[in-house]
Amino acid sequence: MGKTRGRRSDRSDGTEQKLYLQLPLLEMRVPEPDLIFLTDLPGGLDSKEWIASHTIGFFEHINLMYGTVSEFCTPSTCPDMTGPGNRQYHWIDDKGKKARLSAPQYIDYIMTYAQKSINDDTIFPTKHGLEFPATFESHVKKIHKLLFHVLAHIYHMHFKEVVLLQLHAHLNAVFAHFVEFNLRFHMVEDKELEVLDDLMVALKLTPPKQSG
Amino acid sequence: LGAAVGGSPASDGGVGPMTFSCHTLDKATKAKVTLENYYSNLIAQHQERRQRRQRLEESLREERITEEQKSEKRHQHAVRETEFLRLKRSRLGVDDFEPLKVIGRGAFGEVRLVQKIDTGHVYAMKILRKSAMVEKEQVAHVRAERDVLVEADHPWVVKMFYSFQDAVNLYLIMEFLPGGDMMTLLMKKDTLPEEVTQFYVAETALAIDYIHKLGFIHRDIKPDNLLLDASGHIKLSDFGLCTGLKKSHRTEFYRDLSQVKPSDFSNPMDSKRKAESWKRNRRQLAYSTVGTPDYIAPEVFLQTGYNSSCDWWSLGVIMFEMLIGYPPFCSENPQETYKKIMSWKDTLIFPPEVPISEAAKDTILRFCSDADTRVKNIHDIKALPFFQHGVDWNHIRERPAAISVEVKSIDDTSNFDDFPDVDLKISTAGSLQASNKDWVFINYTFKRFEGLTQRGPILK
Ligand SMILES: Nc1ncnc2c1ncn2[C@@H]1O[C@H](COP(=O)(O)OP(=O)(O)OP(=O)(O)O)[C@@H](O)[C@H]1O
Repeated sequence: MGKTRGRRSDRSDGTEQKLYLQLPLLEMRVPEPDLIFLTDLPGGLDSKEWIASHTIGFFEHINLMYGTVSEFCTPSTCPDMTGPGNRQYHWIDDKGKKARLSAPQYIDYIMTYAQKSINDDTIFPTKHGLEFPATFESHVKKIHKLLFHVLAHIYHMHFKEVVLLQLHAHLNAVFAHFVEFNLRFHMVEDKELEVLDDLMVALKLTPPKQSG
Repeated sequence: LGAAVGGSPASDGGVGPMTFSCHTLDKATKAKVTLENYYSNLIAQHQERRQRRQRLEESLREERITEEQKSEKRHQHAVRETEFLRLKRSRLGVDDFEPLKVIGRGAFGEVRLVQKIDTGHVYAMKILRKSAMVEKEQVAHVRAERDVLVEADHPWVVKMFYSFQDAVNLYLIMEFLPGGDMMTLLMKKDTLPEEVTQFYVAETALAIDYIHKLGFIHRDIKPDNLLLDASGHIKLSDFGLCTGLKKSHRTEFYRDLSQVKPSDFSNPMDSKRKAESWKRNRRQLAYSTVGTPDYIAPEVFLQTGYNSSCDWWSLGVIMFEMLIGYPPFCSENPQETYKKIMSWKDTLIFPPEVPISEAAKDTILRFCSDADTRVKNIHDIKALPFFQHGVDWNHIRERPAAISVEVKSIDDTSNFDDFPDVDLKISTAGSLQASNKDWVFINYTFKRFEGLTQRGPILK
């Protein structure tokens, strides 16, 4: 559940008009059936290698997407790192200490962290014959969780800019790919994902939830 | 600087006109191109992976081996596929290759012999300067090159392994063909005997036919692009980059012909002097961004359109050059050459002092003729008088080449010219600031499946 309620009065919970749920904006650059077979692990392949290459793809593309709206994501427009439903995200540092950061700062931390991990040959080995470390899964899960926060923030605060840049179908494709991948490899916990449940349903990635 | 983007697709969602900086608009374009390219590649890779798997299953069906051995082979296949995934993830760069020697130079950069440091395998590395290409509007053609090269996997086409880029250059890693190129061979010899010419023209015809069947028109077939492998057989290099976009391939370049000085060719030279003068200027022509129009078919210059038969014209010009010692329309300058090509009916002359067979003449004239009377395909070519004796079309590549190539080692460059004064350090710094048009090169990265499994001994 959301940790803190937002203070923004213009978006009182539940009643907000979500631009990203509007029908004409639900286009996707890549057809969903393609995304399904693209995420299935091909027979016999090493799943870590498969997860590694997808993780790098998600990092690069979410980074690219955020880059297109970063001009509009400043400490004054986004003093808090938020997602839909006024979800608030707090940065937790190495020592486990929580910090309140503005969205651009938080996202900068995420991207720096992800980039560093991906370039680290002891986590993502690139040399022939080198094994993935035992901690690979926990690293990758953390990266996915953090990247999901970025997606949530873009949809929550910057979807309008994305639409004006004619990038919504691309963003939806990245999101759908991320979700499809997650349905198979369970990278991100449901309680993280729930802020965009409505979009997953609208994009027909998951069936509508029965209970409210 | 700002550009307004208005008229939103969702009218009542609170989306109003907004102003974006050029920087943001550039990033948006880059994001679009990158994502579209990523997903179309992902789909292509998925299909290729499936095909590789199918091919494996087919070959397993034919082999008489136990179930256990079959599952072992399936396992090995999966291991290779996994290695391939890792290869694609690996950040291949200039630093992974040790430069050994410069072996060629072209309009947009150079070609080097290099050795991959971890595997010891030797390759040819083609380096193209991005800035030069953006300037010369060559960019659309980079894509064409990437597409064909990834697909092409055939004895007639130079095999490509990797490509990558940095802020300054594009890099193509391809198989090293130690036999040198046809231009260098032609400059060493006065003329080629008819049997030798027959061999090279027949092989080049098969190579051209092959790319036509893939759906490509080369448009710039010339001796520089005919490479010789270790056994002296032809391979075609260079798709896309040179496809009719060099200055000398554009009509605008010739629009104002009034400034052209009448050249020395107005008082006709004998063929010997002509050949000498041609050979003297030839290498400079190959290195200039203007390029030489000598091999281009007349209809390619016209706006009226052309088809794959333009490549057969070029082959006719090459055949003439092999037998006579210079190409039929060669002149002191490209403008003059252009004029001669456009009036080829008067200028295509066989010099009496260099006698060649009637069959050879007739054949050249079936290559260099009006597009509608020209040969159309390999079938027409096989029927030409010049090929009636001595060509084993089906096995030509397996048989000894007309001139054998002497190669002492996998990194022997004795068939190449010397490029003595070059700095082997590749300048990637200097203009480190990537051009904001950088996204146009996004397509330019690929790695080839077999690239990984090729391993050779470490030299030195
Ligand atoms: N794979 C290769 N192996 C050996 N030598 C090569 C190879 N590719 C190119 N070369 C040498 O480098 C020379 C220049 O290469 P190439 O023609 O591909 O470049 P270019 O001249 O820049 O292209 P363009 O035709 O667009 O001018 C060739 O004529 C040949 O001598």
